[in-house]
Amino acid sequence: MKQTALDKFSQILVPIAGRLNNNRYLSVLRDAFMLSFPITIFGSIVVVLMNLPFLDLIMSAGSLEAFRHAVGNAPQATMGIMTVFIVFGIGYYLSKSYEVEGVFGGAIALASFMLLTPFLLTTDSGETVANVIPLDRLGAKGMFVGMITAFASAEIYRWIVHKELTIRMPAGVPPAVARSFTALIPVVITLTVFLLINIVVTQVLQTNLHDLIYKAVQEPLVGLGSGLVATLIAIFFIQILWFFGLHGQIIVNSVMDPIWNTLSLENLNTYTQTGTVPHIISKQFIETYTVGMGGTGMTLAVVFSLLWFMRSRQMKQVGKLAIGPGLFNVNEPVIFGLPIVMNPLILVPWILSPMVVTIVTYYAMSIGLVPPPTGVAVPWTVPIFINGIMATNSLAGGILQLVNLVIVFLIWFPFLKVIDRMNVKNESSEAQAGAMAQSGQSIAQ
Amino acid sequence: MKKILLACSSGMSTSLLVGKMKAYAKSIGEEDEIWAVSQDQAKSELARADVVLIGPQMSFLKSELQKEADKYGIPVEVIDMRAYGMADGKAVYEQAASLLGGRK
Repeated sequence: MKQTALDKFSQILVPIAGRLNNNRYLSVLRDAFMLSFPITIFGSIVVVLMNLPFLDLIMSAGSLEAFRHAVGNAPQATMGIMTVFIVFGIGYYLSKSYEVEGVFGGAIALASFMLLTPFLLTTDSGETVANVIPLDRLGAKGMFVGMITAFASAEIYRWIVHKELTIRMPAGVPPAVARSFTALIPVVITLTVFLLINIVVTQVLQTNLHDLIYKAVQEPLVGLGSGLVATLIAIFFIQILWFFGLHGQIIVNSVMDPIWNTLSLENLNTYTQTGTVPHIISKQFIETYTVGMGGTGMTLAVVFSLLWFMRSRQMKQVGKLAIGPGLFNVNEPVIFGLPIVMNPLILVPWILSPMVVTIVTYYAMSIGLVPPPTGVAVPWTVPIFINGIMATNSLAGGILQLVNLVIVFLIWFPFLKVIDRMNVKNESSEAQAGAMAQSGQSIAQ
Repeated sequence: MKKILLACSSGMSTSLLVGKMKAYAKSIGEEDEIWAVSQDQAKSELARADVVLIGPQMSFLKSELQKEADKYGIPVEVIDMRAYGMADGKAVYEQAASLLGGRK
């Protein structure tokens, strides 16, 4: 009975997941973040090097300062202006998805974003400097206005191209030349739209779109996403989707990534300037403390349990198969082999342990026992303990993961034991049946 | 020679299976091309394949990929969950082979 109810629910869930996964805007957003990922990794490596814990022991204060100054523009040129890559990526991939020239879409998105960016900087002393682009507007602070502008400009651009409002060159004109003319009218119209928007906002409303969207959209959304409750809800959905055998992150993260990444960028900016971290929840919190412990559902503890404490052949075999990938946070063998998918006995530890671990981690960080992740991007395939140390730039970050590992182990153990006992019983009755059949045969012979 | 394409979210978990399937194919004396890609590459790669298998966690990709695959008459199927979890190269290889019918 239970199984059929689960099957029915799964039948409802699969098409919804499919629609979310194939949604044009979400998949463009996913690709755009993917584009910026290797670039942010480079910036992260430099931040890690700048903040190695023993540097002050081997270098004098003066040379350490000089070293940090010398490499300091690397994080700023990569993660510091991440919005530039996101804007270009959205413009490119969205245009491409409509089968219009992607590179022009990217360039138009970037130009539109720049048209809305105030080239003014107000210094701490209240002085206004003209003809500069404030770096923070190209980073965390400009993230949402960037995403909105990129989507809007690429939509306008491709709409005009599809309307065929383009200059056509006679055959015989070299394709590259023809292409630049084809793009001319759509580019001019799209950029005119954003120029007019900027004129209205700056002249009539006496502000700029960056500040407007930051206050009206980004601040409230990011504020909401940085809370513990919102994080638990997101994790709950990821776990439920995986329970039905669907890739939870692909679906949930495409909605949450803009928020989580913005929080990470804010963390990193503050960290490189002051050494402190403002937000506990960020992209790295999710990656390191929910996925980075053996994969979704923190299953490395489960794998150890299968290997060392279970007696049934089937569970030992899953354990052996899962340990290699599990160390690198790939856990499909556990999810489909144990299996976790649609297994009612597993549902409780599967949902409960990430919730408990997230709460423990959150409070360990909020009372200052463990520093929150600095915003340095650590690839999700880096093993447990190492990724915790790298993400927080502190040994405590790795130790917290080991504590969490024990928590997961304790929550899972009784449930695994029940399944193990059932498996052992099945296996021995199978073996008995096999032996009986054989002895029966030998008598007959 | 069969050309079997496996698709999952990032191509990582299926790559484990690819190794096992190749080993099985070799053990029965077949020279097959088996490779894994991420979901965004699947559409462009499938033209080169004879059959496409999808990781069960991406089962919602099926209808999308099937549309593209129909252009080339390539069968698309979701990998059996249990076989996927146990990285059972033989079972998944046989699933691919049965989708291809008698084709070599």
